[in-house]
Amino acid sequence: MNRGRARTTLVAVPLVVFVVAGLLAPLIAPADPTANDLAAGLASPSAEHLLGTDQLGRDQLSRLLYGAQISLAITAAVLAISLTAGAVVGTVAGYAGGWVDRVVSRVIDVVVSLPGMLVALAVIGVRGPGVDNLILALALWSWAPYARIARARVASLRDSPHLDALRLLGAGHGRIVGRHLLPLALAPCLVYASTDVGTVVLAVATLSFLGLGVAPPSAEWGQMLIEGRPFLASAWWLAYPPGVAITAVVFASNLLGERLAAGAERPSIIRLVRPGRIRRATRPAASPDPGTVLRVRDLSVTYPDGSASRRVVAGMSYEVRRGQVLAFVGETGSGKTTAALAPFGLLDPSAAVTGSALLDTHELIGLAPGERRRINGRRVGVVFQDSGAFLNPLRTIGAHVDEAVRNAGRGGRRAATRRVSGELLRLAGLPDPVAVARQFPHQLSGGMRQRAQIAIALAGEPELLVADEPTSALDATVQAQLLDLLARLRDELGMAMIIVSHDLAVVSRVADTVAVVYGGRIVESGPATDLIDEPDHPYTRGLLDAVPRPRTAPGTRFRTMPGLAGGGPDDLAGCGFAPRCPLRQDSCDHEPPALQPLLPATAHRSACLHPPTREGSC
Amino acid sequence: MRVPDRLVAAGGYVTRWAADTVGVLLAMSVGTFALVLLARGDPAAVLAATRAGRPATPEQIEAVRVELGLDDPAPVRYLRWLAHASTGDFGLSLRTNTPVGPEVADRLGVTFGLVAGSATVALVVGLAVGVAGAVLPRGPLRGALRIGALLVTSVPAFWLSYLLVLFLALRLHLVPTSGMAGPRTWLMPMAVLGLPAAGVLSRVVAVTLREALDRPYVRAAQARGSRPLSIVLRDGLPNAAGPILSVAGFGIGSLLVATVVVEKIFGWPGLGAYFVQAAGARDVPALQAAVLVMGGGFILANRCADVLHGLIDPRARRSSS
Ligand code: SF4
Repeated sequence: MNRGRARTTLVAVPLVVFVVAGLLAPLIAPADPTANDLAAGLASPSAEHLLGTDQLGRDQLSRLLYGAQISLAITAAVLAISLTAGAVVGTVAGYAGGWVDRVVSRVIDVVVSLPGMLVALAVIGVRGPGVDNLILALALWSWAPYARIARARVASLRDSPHLDALRLLGAGHGRIVGRHLLPLALAPCLVYASTDVGTVVLAVATLSFLGLGVAPPSAEWGQMLIEGRPFLASAWWLAYPPGVAITAVVFASNLLGERLAAGAERPSIIRLVRPGRIRRATRPAASPDPGTVLRVRDLSVTYPDGSASRRVVAGMSYEVRRGQVLAFVGETGSGKTTAALAPFGLLDPSAAVTGSALLDTHELIGLAPGERRRINGRRVGVVFQDSGAFLNPLRTIGAHVDEAVRNAGRGGRRAATRRVSGELLRLAGLPDPVAVARQFPHQLSGGMRQRAQIAIALAGEPELLVADEPTSALDATVQAQLLDLLARLRDELGMAMIIVSHDLAVVSRVADTVAVVYGGRIVESGPATDLIDEPDHPYTRGLLDAVPRPRTAPGTRFRTMPGLAGGGPDDLAGCGFAPRCPLRQDSCDHEPPALQPLLPATAHRSACLHPPTREGSC
Repeated sequence: MRVPDRLVAAGGYVTRWAADTVGVLLAMSVGTFALVLLARGDPAAVLAATRAGRPATPEQIEAVRVELGLDDPAPVRYLRWLAHASTGDFGLSLRTNTPVGPEVADRLGVTFGLVAGSATVALVVGLAVGVAGAVLPRGPLRGALRIGALLVTSVPAFWLSYLLVLFLALRLHLVPTSGMAGPRTWLMPMAVLGLPAAGVLSRVVAVTLREALDRPYVRAAQARGSRPLSIVLRDGLPNAAGPILSVAGFGIGSLLVATVVVEKIFGWPGLGAYFVQAAGARDVPALQAAVLVMGGGFILANRCADVLHGLIDPRARRSSS
């Protein structure tokens, strides 16, 4: 923001120096750039000649400054011509629309895609060298981007009511174009011109270097370099300053262009280095119960948020046992998906994950990417929500499954890998694996894509399957079939499963235990039957009230409760649900209520100070 | 919507692509021929003077006009020129009065060798630096790669040549200052041509690959335990192929044109040097030959990048014109 703008200004400094030097050259140059003094030829830099002299004894600093003047004049002429011509052509085409627009756009496309140097050489070749032909040659090709920019700007306004109003008021086409549209089109063109300076300066210098641009004795930068060439090794002051000057102007212009083009930038998921900022749990890992596949303690996830940071999951603990399904239920943004994926390193790389997650006896938090590959795809399989986006659009389903099989170390020769893939697809309920394997993701229905994802997740014969909203966006029948498939796989393969969903009605079909998540915290958890029959937390009760009664309309999403969805776990000092809670009391605002067993030694826990079941009178 | 057979669909696409390419090449040949209409001065007078060795008489000029058919209407002359050009006959050089075709053919090998070498530099360095720029975390190394790439694209080729000559040839004596004899003389020209192209390519790779690696299917690939290299090669680069290929095609095509500077500096007898000589002498037939060959090569490089993208990404086939 402010810092970014300051940097952009800093980047533009060489351009400003270029313009000032070019404008003021006659005033600040210490000597006449063409005054020969053979006696003082090839003098090294001194107080008299700050940048030394060339073979004819001409003052190099003066020549450099006058070089800026020449470059600046030619560049200004080229940009003025191409900007004006481009803006007018583009504006007219964008305003006219129809075939005019199509023809002009086609011409613009062709010119933009031509190599500028080729055009310039050809034009100068037939017209002869000289400043006027140089300007013509460069303008002939550099107008096109301006036309494209202006056309795009104006075409977006073509049908605006503002223009209709102008026409109704009797404004002619010429007036609309000249008075109203052209100024609008000029603004983005001017911005682009600032980044185009480098291209033109470089072209002028290159053509002059080739002897096809500005002729001697003018002190053009490229010309200076070619004149200084015989003295490269002996007189460094002839070799460096003009090159540095050109490079500085072009570099500043390129950098400016990149800054203006760049949008917000996010880090990629893949990191070559070990993720930083991770603290392992300080507590020694408790010896796990043999039936427990995953045991998570005090899991917190924090994202950087500007200069501050923001927790999205706060101190969550959960576990899932072999042959059991744990369901995370909550609204969008509650942190349920983050909590389920965090142990496996599948969050954005800027996330800082703390706490402990034991898979069997292996600590997962803080693993290096290489160690992750021994877990992900082998011992843990993941099924993502179907948006089509979780499958690479350029690869067939078969390529995905084959890769998963090879990653899991179960691949062999091509045919053997294919055979395993076929079995997996069949296991996931796709009856014609050979045909499906040849299809691309977009050729399958949502339900089939989810089955394909399940096949991929099963490739490593995992102990744990994590499914993030596996059935949302699918219709009710398909949802039911997929849930039945997951339940069958749990029973047949004895896997542990975590299913994340916003829909309590859906998961209650398969879940053994349920954890209700609100605002980055688990607010109630316990065996599915207990929790559904006797919900304790007001939020869970709200969810259940909103859940359609069994057999009325299966799969309907629950009605949203009044009030906004919860914020982060640290947004409020007290209970996160308080703003929406009908039972809230003053004491709720002091500190977040802890998740506590309803009765001593029961698995059913809730985090509420004044639960309706226990205080009756509410 | 089922695509019945991937290969058949791609076959139709390739045929359409080839037809389009011929169309674009023809359009370029019209532009190249039109250069003669832009020319200042009378080519017949120039050639007659070259033959006579002094300013020609009106009779000599008229004889050349008739010999070259310069009085025919432009479309007739275009068709005749194109028919001849397609057999490698570009007429006589105004500068030397010798046939242009064989001269260009002789020089082609040098230039294409140079372009092939520097294209390899550009692709290898550009991809490597670009991939590093995409997967490295934000930090000094990534920043240095970015600034380095922008810097190397901003240095004028002729000055970069000077710097290399100064350090590699004159100071360290690693390579000869110029000429084309033996593998070591290829180093500097290849670097001067290839590095700026690599710089441009690396920026596009870094930006588009980073975007592609941020897609959900990359997360899914991590979840099934794929290696980073495999994710970059199978999921990242193919999905970023559109912009990368179009910049690579443009960059490699432009190398052909950039040889004009490098061949002049290092004294290579290639097409680029010939182009500059022709441009300096307003030698229109030679210019036309050089423009046609270089422009044609440039267009082919771009079109090849296009077709490659279409083969990688079926979705790109529809939008291609
Ligand atoms: S702690 Fe208070 S505000 Fe929070 S859910 Fe319970 S009653 Fe409502």
